[in-house]
Amino acid sequence: MEPFDLFSMRESYNRQQIMLCFNGPISRSLIEEIGNALRNYLAADHAHPSSAMDVFGVYIELTQNIRHYAQQKGWTETDASATVVVARNDAGHYVVSAGNIIEQADGEALLACIDELASLDKAALKARYKEQLRKPREAEAASGAGLGLIDIARKSSAPLQASLRQLTDGRAFVSLRAEI
Amino acid sequence: MSNFSIPGSQSTPAIDGDWDHGTLSMQGDSYPENSYELFQQVFSWVERFLLEAGRPLTLELRLLYLNTSSIKAMMDIFDLLEDAHHEGKPVAVNWRYDPRNERVAELAEEFKEDCTFPFAIVALDSATSTS
Repeated sequence: MEPFDLFSMRESYNRQQIMLCFNGPISRSLIEEIGNALRNYLAADHAHPSSAMDVFGVYIELTQNIRHYAQQKGWTETDASATVVVARNDAGHYVVSAGNIIEQADGEALLACIDELASLDKAALKARYKEQLRKPREAEAASGAGLGLIDIARKSSAPLQASLRQLTDGRAFVSLRAEI
Repeated sequence: MSNFSIPGSQSTPAIDGDWDHGTLSMQGDSYPENSYELFQQVFSWVERFLLEAGRPLTLELRLLYLNTSSIKAMMDIFDLLEDAHHEGKPVAVNWRYDPRNERVAELAEEFKEDCTFPFAIVALDSATSTS
């Protein structure tokens, strides 16, 4: 059994300038409650209202995407588990990261989509966003996180980063990182 | 004919439709997980007003953060207004925002790009001094 000691965890969080993190099944009300805490932290941190709204918006899109995905797959509430981290980097930018379990094939499609978004500049992202907004709802549902991802990319100051770690049973864990 | 009111919550805007005055006001944040459920009621009210009331309709908005599914739902409502405008029905949007948060103005501006009816984006300071 591991000795009971949160010190190393604390050190690691401090080193990575983590403001807030969460790991576990994420419900609709938890998304709201954590979002509330995040807004309070950002206000206490004297974040500019625009950048606080961007950080909050990216957090909402990432976490709601995770819940929508689990619902779409007919997974249980426990399967809608998320690992969410909000931190600052050395340049003082806010970084919002979120990870969840996903089917390997969906994970690969997601990574390809993020790669493609990374090649677009702000104007091209806006055009893509408007195009996606005009797609019928069914098409949006079929392609999954389309609009949300473009929105996150538009709010980010650097291209989105993603990685996929293969698990068993055709599933994988996907990590997404947005720097605001 | 009928007024329509939904109280606001942390993640949903306060919504008031006044049939006699021809106004629909919405204020607050909007990021419910299922925006479609909420906005379907608003959409239906606007649709019915435009069909039956025979009076001008003005949307008074003080919306702040919208998640992408709320943005999609608002776009559907603005599309209804755009169609009505092309049929010669008087419709307008007034979107008031706090000038300290330019993201709200940018959001409103992107909606406005797709609309040809009167769409005013007003910083709250000047809005309060002119009203």
